[in-house]
Amino acid sequence: MKNTLKVERAINNFTQEELAKKIGVSRQTINSIETNRYVPSTLLALKLSKLFNKPVNDFFTLEEED
Amino acid sequence: MNLKTISECEDRKIQKYLNFRLPHQYKKIGWIGFVLSFVILISTKFFDGNYSVLVEILKRLLLVFLLLVVLSKEKVEDEMIKSIRSQAFTFAFIGAVAYTLLQPVINLIVALIVKPEKAIFKDLGDFQILWFMMIIYLVVFMKLKKRA
Repeated sequence: MKNTLKVERAINNFTQEELAKKIGVSRQTINSIETNRYVPSTLLALKLSKLFNKPVNDFFTLEEED
Repeated sequence: MNLKTISECEDRKIQKYLNFRLPHQYKKIGWIGFVLSFVILISTKFFDGNYSVLVEILKRLLLVFLLLVVLSKEKVEDEMIKSIRSQAFTFAFIGAVAYTLLQPVINLIVALIVKPEKAIFKDLGDFQILWFMMIIYLVVFMKLKKRA
């Protein structure tokens, strides 16, 4: 699964730290999601969706091997 | 109370036990206690006298302090940390079982090569197994956390 979290974060002008605080995770978790080392839970994906005011599918997309 | 409600109560109770973690400050207490117990335990080797009771107490204290470190929360205990924790617990469990089964055999083989007349099969003690399991857990947890 790939994501455009970094782009969304830039659009909304958030630092990793700010985004992490807003959804209640660590900055390291945001970094791991952005670099595709961690796949977040549905709960976290929905929190991001609510924050960015966009459907989850807009910034998380399945790849062929998924 | 109907059956469904009883089952829900049981589920909630199990979840509560599964999610049990100590507050973050216990990590510092655990490490300080662990280092102190370890230093005293090692220093008993350098002084003459019978410290067998003290050594047994220190060994248990060492395990208790390690358990405090293992069970205490991180500064931010989020879902990624929970996932890493779960991977580290799995690894430590499998590692401890493999260690318990293989180490006595390896010890016997080495003894047979070095001192065949004194070679006997001896199981590991509870301290050694628990110590190994918690150390493996902490090493794997820290490594995974650093890599994440």
